[in-house]
This record gives sequence, C-alpha cells and structure tokens, in this order.
Amino acid sequence: MRMKAAILAAVMLVAAACSGAPPAAQQSTEADITLSGPVSVTLWHALSGPQQVALDAMVKKFNDTNGKGITVTALNQGNYTQLYQKTLGAIQAGALPELAHAYESFVADYMKADVVVDLGAYKDSPTNGLTKASQDDIYKGYYDTNTFPQYGNRLLSWPFTKSLAVMYVNNDILKEIGKPIPKTWDEFEATSLAATKKDASGKVTRMGFAFNTDASYFNAQVYARGGSLMAADNKTVAWNGKEGLAVLQMYDRMNKNGSGYSPKSFDYQNDLATGKLAFFFSSTSTVPFMKQLADTAPFNWSIANLPQAATDPAKAKTVQFGANVAIFKSTPEKQLASWLFIKWMSDTDQSAQFASTSYYMPVRATAANSQTLKDYWAKVPQGKQGFDLIQYSSPEPNIRGQQDIRDVILNMITEVLTGKSTPDAAIATATTKSNQIIKDAQ
Amino acid sequence: MAAEVIPSSVRASPHRRLPIEAIQAWLFLVPAVVILGVFQIFPAIAAFYMSLFKWDVVQGAFRGLGNYTDWLYDNSIRSPDFWRALSTTFSYVIFTVPLEIALSLVLAYLLFQKMRGRGIYRTVYYLPYVTSFVAAAAVFFWVFHPQYGLVNDVIGIFGIGPQRWLDEPNGIFDLAASGFGITLPEWLAGPSLALVVLSLVTIWHYLGYQIVIFLAGLSNISPEYYEAARLDGASERQIFAKITLPLLSPTTFFVFTVASIGVLRSFDSVYVLTNGGPLDTTRTVTLLVFKTAFQQAQFGLGAALAFILTLVILLFTLVQFRVLGRRVNYG
Amino acid sequence: MARAIPMERGLPRLTTRPRIGSIAKHVVLIVVAGIVAYPFYFMVTSSFKDTLEAIRTPPTIFPNELHPENYTDAWNRAPWGRYFINTIFVSVSVTILELITACLAAYAFARMKFRGKGILFTIFLATLMIPSEATLIPRYVLMSPSRVACAGLPCLGWFDTYQVQIVPFIASAFSIFLLRQFFLSIPSELSDAARIDGAGHLRFLWSIVLPLSIPALITAGLITFLGSWNAFQWPLIVTSKPDFRVVQVGLSAFRQEAGSSYHLLMAASTFVVAPIVLLFLVAQRYLVQGIARTGIRG
Repeated sequence: MRMKAAILAAVMLVAAACSGAPPAAQQSTEADITLSGPVSVTLWHALSGPQQVALDAMVKKFNDTNGKGITVTALNQGNYTQLYQKTLGAIQAGALPELAHAYESFVADYMKADVVVDLGAYKDSPTNGLTKASQDDIYKGYYDTNTFPQYGNRLLSWPFTKSLAVMYVNNDILKEIGKPIPKTWDEFEATSLAATKKDASGKVTRMGFAFNTDASYFNAQVYARGGSLMAADNKTVAWNGKEGLAVLQMYDRMNKNGSGYSPKSFDYQNDLATGKLAFFFSSTSTVPFMKQLADTAPFNWSIANLPQAATDPAKAKTVQFGANVAIFKSTPEKQLASWLFIKWMSDTDQSAQFASTSYYMPVRATAANSQTLKDYWAKVPQGKQGFDLIQYSSPEPNIRGQQDIRDVILNMITEVLTGKSTPDAAIATATTKSNQIIKDAQ
Repeated sequence: MAAEVIPSSVRASPHRRLPIEAIQAWLFLVPAVVILGVFQIFPAIAAFYMSLFKWDVVQGAFRGLGNYTDWLYDNSIRSPDFWRALSTTFSYVIFTVPLEIALSLVLAYLLFQKMRGRGIYRTVYYLPYVTSFVAAAAVFFWVFHPQYGLVNDVIGIFGIGPQRWLDEPNGIFDLAASGFGITLPEWLAGPSLALVVLSLVTIWHYLGYQIVIFLAGLSNISPEYYEAARLDGASERQIFAKITLPLLSPTTFFVFTVASIGVLRSFDSVYVLTNGGPLDTTRTVTLLVFKTAFQQAQFGLGAALAFILTLVILLFTLVQFRVLGRRVNYG
Repeated sequence: MARAIPMERGLPRLTTRPRIGSIAKHVVLIVVAGIVAYPFYFMVTSSFKDTLEAIRTPPTIFPNELHPENYTDAWNRAPWGRYFINTIFVSVSVTILELITACLAAYAFARMKFRGKGILFTIFLATLMIPSEATLIPRYVLMSPSRVACAGLPCLGWFDTYQVQIVPFIASAFSIFLLRQFFLSIPSELSDAARIDGAGHLRFLWSIVLPLSIPALITAGLITFLGSWNAFQWPLIVTSKPDFRVVQVGLSAFRQEAGSSYHLLMAASTFVVAPIVLLFLVAQRYLVQGIARTGIRG
C-alpha cells in the first residue's frame, strides 16, 4: 500500500515537473493514497427538516455516482448542542464517527483530544486535492474560519453549511414612510424611528428594529462599523473599542425611544411578515421561513447588507455563519473516503445544487454560473441578494473559550436592554470577564 | 410454628445462623440491586473518578479534591458562580415546593369527595404533567409574553404596568419597591421575576402528579376513622386536622421529599424556559453542571459540581427525614 | 381475602367520607381547572388554526376555521408511526418490569428484617439525588461498543437498540420508595395473621399486600409509564437511527424545523400527548379504589 503510494507520488512528481504545472506536495502522505476497495463512512450532523432532506438527497447522489465504492451514511444527532454532547461522549468512548458537522468552537475542543484530521494535506494533494484554480474559487473567508491559529494555523475543518448575517427589510413599510434602505448606521436609526408607530395610549404598534441579543449579531455590527473582534495575538478581545460601545449605545437609545424591541423566539419573523416590523438582522438561512410566510400572505421584503460605516462598498463587512465539517482520525482509507465526499459536496455543481435545496450558501463563486442556482434565484430573489454578500462575510473568532465569551456578550446586551447597566459599565465588565476566559481556556 | 419455618440444619448450628428472612430479602432485592448497581451506581463511581482529574475533553492531571475546592472557594470565576447558582436553586425550591404541596393537598382533598365530574377534574389537573415541556414552554412564552401576553392584560386591569416576566432579571422585591418609588439595595432585591415565573410553571406542571399521589394516600385511610369521628360529633375541620392530615403524613412526607429532590435536581424545565437567563438569574446548579460539562467540555469540573449538588441534596433530605420524619404517623 | 372495590359503588357516603360545602368546592375546582387547563386549551386550539392565525398576536380564542389537515401534515413530516410503536413498546416494557422489581424490593424494605437495610435504602435513595448530567457521559460510554473503556472491560455496545432504552430503567429508587411507604402502612395484624396461617413472604405479598396497594401500584405505574413516554435526553444520545427513536426525540426535531409553523408544532404536540391523556382518563378511576377493610375482622 505504502509502496504503491510512493511510486504513484514519484510518477506524479515527474509528470508534474515535465508538464510544467506547479508541483504540489513534496512527499506522499496518507492524503495521496487511492482506495482499494469499498469503504463506509458515517457523518453525524445537526440538520433537520428540509435541510436534512436536501443533505440526504446529496448523500444518495454521491453514493450512487462516486464510482469508488464509498458509501456515506448521514445521521441526525439532534441540534448542535446535542451533536456536540454526543461527539464529546464519543471521544470518551473511543467511538467516533468518521465525519461530523461542527462549529469552529467544537473543532477547537475536539482538537484538545487530538482527534481531528489536518485537511491541508488533502486539499493540496496532487491525487485527491483541489487544483489551485479550484482552491481560489472558494471564498477566502471560508478558509480563514477553518484555520486554527491556536493549533499551528492548520486547516482542521471544511465549509459545509454556511450562511451569513444580513438585514431583512419590509419594503412596504419603507415605501409608506418614503425612505430608502438605510446604508449607514445614522440612516438606520433615523429610518427605524420613522417607521415606529404608537397608538393613542402610547403603546407601540409598529416597531422599527428587533434587537438581537445573540453575540454573532453583535460581532456583525462591530465588523460593519469597522471594528475588529480580537487583538492580533488572539489573547484579548478587541470588540470593546468605540465600535462595540456604539452598538450598545444605539441599542440603548432605540430601546428608550421605542423604535426597538426585544422579540421572543421567532416573533420577529412573524412581525415583519405582518407589517409590524421594519428591520431585523438574521442569517440567510431564515429566507425559506420568510418565503413561507410570504406565500401565505404576500408582502414585500428583501435582503440587504447591514448598514456600514465604510463608505467604500468594497470594504463592507458582516459576519459569516454556519457550521463546517471535520474529519476524525481513523484509517487512511476512511479518512480519504470522507475527504472525497466533502470535496465533492464543495465542487461547483454540488455546491450549487445543495444551496438551491437547503438555502445555505454555496462555498464558491463559480456556483453562480450554474443553471440550478439561477433557477432557484429566479423564484427566490432574496437568495441571490444573500449570495452577493458572501464576499463581505468574515469569520468570528474560533479560539477555545469563544462559546463562553458569547454568553458574556449576551449578558452584556441584556444588561443594557433591561436597564441594569449603562453601555460603558456593561462593556467594561464584559471585557474583563472575556479576557479572563481566554486566559483560562488556553 | 417458628420451628417449622427454620430448617433443622440452621437450628443445629447456632454460630452459623443465617436468618432465612435475610436471605429471602436479599433475593427479593437482587433485580433492583443489579440494575441500579450497573446503570446508576457504577456510572456514578466513574463520574466521581472523573471529578478527581482535570478532564478538559480528555483526561489530564490528577487533582484530588482540586475541582471541588475550585467550586467552593478557590477559583475567582467558578466559586462565585457556584454560590450564586446554589442560592438560585434554593430560592427555586422555596418558591415552588411548599406552595405546590399545599395546593395539591387541598385539591386532592376536594377531589376525594364523591361528586359529579370528579373524573374530569382529575384528568384536567393531570394534563400539565403529561403535556410535553416543549409544547408547554411554547404556550407559556405566549401567556407571559412581554408585549402580547395574557398575564400582562390581566394585571393591566389592576393598573399594573406590563412586565417582562421570563425576561425580567430584576428581583421581585426590588420591582415591588420601585412601584412605590423605593430603591432597595442589591442584596435585598430578591429572586428575579423570571425565577418566580419558573416556579409558577413548575407548580402548574406537577400539580396533577402530586394530586394523584395524595389521592392514593387519602384512599389508604381506613373509613372507620371517619365513621368513628363523625359518631363522636367531630366537625369537618376537626376531622381534616386531627384525622386526615396525620394519617396522610406518610404520603405528605413522601411527596415533600420527592418534590424537593425533584426541584433541586430539575433541569428540563429551566433549560427549556429560560436556559439560566436572564442574566443568569435562573441558573440553577444543574444548569451550571450542564454548561461546564457540555459547553466548556470540562468534565472533571462538571462531575465535581454534580457531586457537590448530590451532597447538598443528601444533607437536605437527611435533615428532612430527621425533622419531619418524626412527625410521620404510620397508623 | 380482601378485594378492591371501587369506592364509587359499595359504601354509603355519609359515614365514610369527609364532606365539604358543595358550591364553594365546585367554584374553587373550576377556577383552578381553568387556569391549569388553559395552556392545553391553547395548544389544541392553535393546532386547528391556519398558518397566519396561529401566529397572530394577540391570539384568537377559537380558530376562525378548523383545519384538521394540520394533523395529517404534521404526521407526514416524520415517521411518527414508527416512533409511536417504539415508544409504546419501550414504555410498556419498562413499566411492567419496573413494577415487578419495585414491588419485590419495596416489600423487602418494608416488611422484612435483614442487616444493612438502612444503608442499602440510603444508597438507593442516593441514586435519586445524583443529577443525570453527571452520569451522562459514563452511562453513554457504558453503552458504547468500546472494547476497553468500562474500567478495563468491554462495554455493552447497545447503541441503537431497544434494550438500551429499557434495561437501565427496570429499577427505580423512586418507585421503590413510593411503594415502601405504602407497604409500611399495611397493618401488622395482617402479616401476623398470614404468618400464623403459614403463608410465606411471597404469598403474603402476592395475595394480600398487592391487592391492598392497587392505588399505589397504579400511581407508580402511571408515573413510570409517563416518565418513559416523555424520555428525551437519553434516547436522543443513545440512538441515531430512526428505527429505534421515540416520539419526544421526534417532537424536538420537529420543533427545530417547524420553527414558525406554530400550527403544525401544536398539532404534533397534541398527538404526542393524546395517548397519555386517554390512558389517564381510563386509569384514574382505579386510583381511589377503596379497600374493604372488613377483611381484617373476618
């Protein structure tokens, strides 16, 4: 087996040298082997409903067409927390599946047990990897988020079910108040206030903006205001600068003048659909839900980028969402089979296909050329609006302890919204706590 | 007759006398011992083992009782977290259990009467217990909705402004006082409104379950007692106080013990309704265990905290057995 | 031999039950019943509303139109038939087996003398006090196919089976405790009489104690059955394949993906709850079966 691989690599090297194409890996690794027989691998994931159906369809297609005897079984493990719980248990039991759906923070934790495969070798493998053109086609942000500075900048997971934070707009309301979609934060605040309606008793009947307490949206707003989230050395947080403070101050003002409110669970979707709300921030994965509501009782809505501080549109920024997939160490054959599956999923046709059925974003730019996606966008224009913004989406920090920091941020925002703290005090406490968490988690 | 029961082999050797009854008892206990042993006690021992190590995703260095002291006093983040969680858990018990028991006892007593529609009442009271928490939570989010909730409409009639209920981190005493323009110091603020709502939902959920147990207990009281008391001319209130309550005490004691343990251990209700929020004011010890083990992947610390909680529950129950156990009348 | 007679028939009302003013009683019961049942009412009425009406704020008291197709829609979204079969099988098995072990153990604690009784009972009670989050990982590892993770021994390898959802629950300190309290209050004259008659413990348990404890048994049985029916966390982590999954796992997944399809979520919640409600309706009349105490004198 190793002999064969070595010979193959040698031949490839010679061939590459002769053809003038840039040589890839210098030595043969387990990433460069070929499969000798049928292989079965299991994927644990957290998709349900239509997304699960979409994934199952892709898996079936792969199983039917891969021609290498690879069979993938995709099993739902509940939601992401439950999936994480189970994977941790599996690590203890020494009974991991071959691949698992995972957020970056999960992968950082799994690496503590050193069970995750480094995908760099697979990506660059001359036999099984991607060509340079193909590699460049994938959005840079998707590599960045799966590269872990904590673990030597290795690529430990691969984009899988990606989305991004965007702004949802009720165009009927905007038309009524005669305002365009806001491009700056000042415009946003003013438009939200203009959209707010109160009845005779002072009770708010139409809101401008639905607050998110989730840390990801805070991060998105910090990015959109031109700030950064972590210091360059990843040892302290950087969202406590003037941008983060500005977010909290805006929340405070909007809360007090009634243009913003705190929705419960999915209220904000229903409120926008019934004309009670002008704006909310959410993931592009909310598109199918809004579409469903619009099909029942039509209303005009669209997706736009979050208001930005930067005047140059090329410098616009928002946050990238969604989970990735990691491969666990097992046998070289199983690892390779797993890699071939996720590589296939990320190729143009499949990425476009999956995007059009699951509403997740394609992972590469050329997916836009596929007819499948074009047809989907013709039916759901908001899908394309989201797609156009992928290039602006940046990853959140993926260091250990990030999950706890998210809780700290959530509390910070809640303190401001419930009047327990001023923005300055809240951000100061949150910063101290977060930096301590980072310290403890290393 | 004793002679017939004890085999001669045993009688003949006084030094080796194994009571037959003891052997029989252990035989009766074998299934329970095996199952509880393998599936509860052995994992508990394993968890205890884990609690002695730094177990950050994988097993690390031996720490002895280090994880425990981290929670109790040694760590600047974990110790305050623990004590706050413990205080929250106890508030939760205090607000839930006594009210829960009083209400279910009274209702069970009323339902015990022969009357029309008894079966329907009983079923209606049992509904909350069978309604899945997932669905119940969705409904309670509506009922206690900060903007559109029924409860806000109702208190509005009494002139009280709308409340945030499950999203309200401020303490209830503080909220009440500020209604009169008084500001209370932080430590007097009391448990958050969210915690009180949580208690109400918990009472709602367990009402039927406890009524059922009380009904079974009530039916265990021999009717002759009532017969005799009535012949003696006792009033209903006297009968309730002097006959029903004392004879019901084994059941009441059972319910009290189990309800307290249940609330101390509860996880699902809190997780689904508030997940420890807002601002950690409903973060019970069980939630803290969950977060430590399944968000931070710190299994050693999580296990240690779980055992600290177990100890707390054990002490609490022993105290109950001591204090209340004496008053139980086995009739 | 004592027989259980439903209190509804047999014994005259006046001398055997406490009495309370009729109207006051009904008022209290109705008001409380209203409050208690409201969430359930809300759940059922929402399940018949259409998409928009179900999310309307403030909610309508009664659906404008009835949409029973919500139930078929919700049913078709997941393999509910399979989930129900699994759940029934698991719950019934657990209940029957658990009652058996609990009766035996409770009897031993309540009416037999043996050394170590107190300590053993305390250990059993202690199992009730350990939060399940602590033992979750060790129990998960115990069920895994791992060859050496169980203190150096091979583990059970019971993932995706029925036994993994049944066997760990065949004994419960809760039921043992409950039944022990009841068995303790059986008068000692009965056991003395039985011993004089030459009946052994097993016979006494089967012929006298159990019939007298039917309310307790039904209570323990109902609670066990319900606990099993509503079990969620454990089945979720020890099963991955739909073939072995149960209704609560299905409902949870449904909650995630139904999201704002409130009407469907409520329909699913209703049909998950309905069987238990029916069961209770049937079982509750036996809960207060009286006992003919005349058996003692005779």
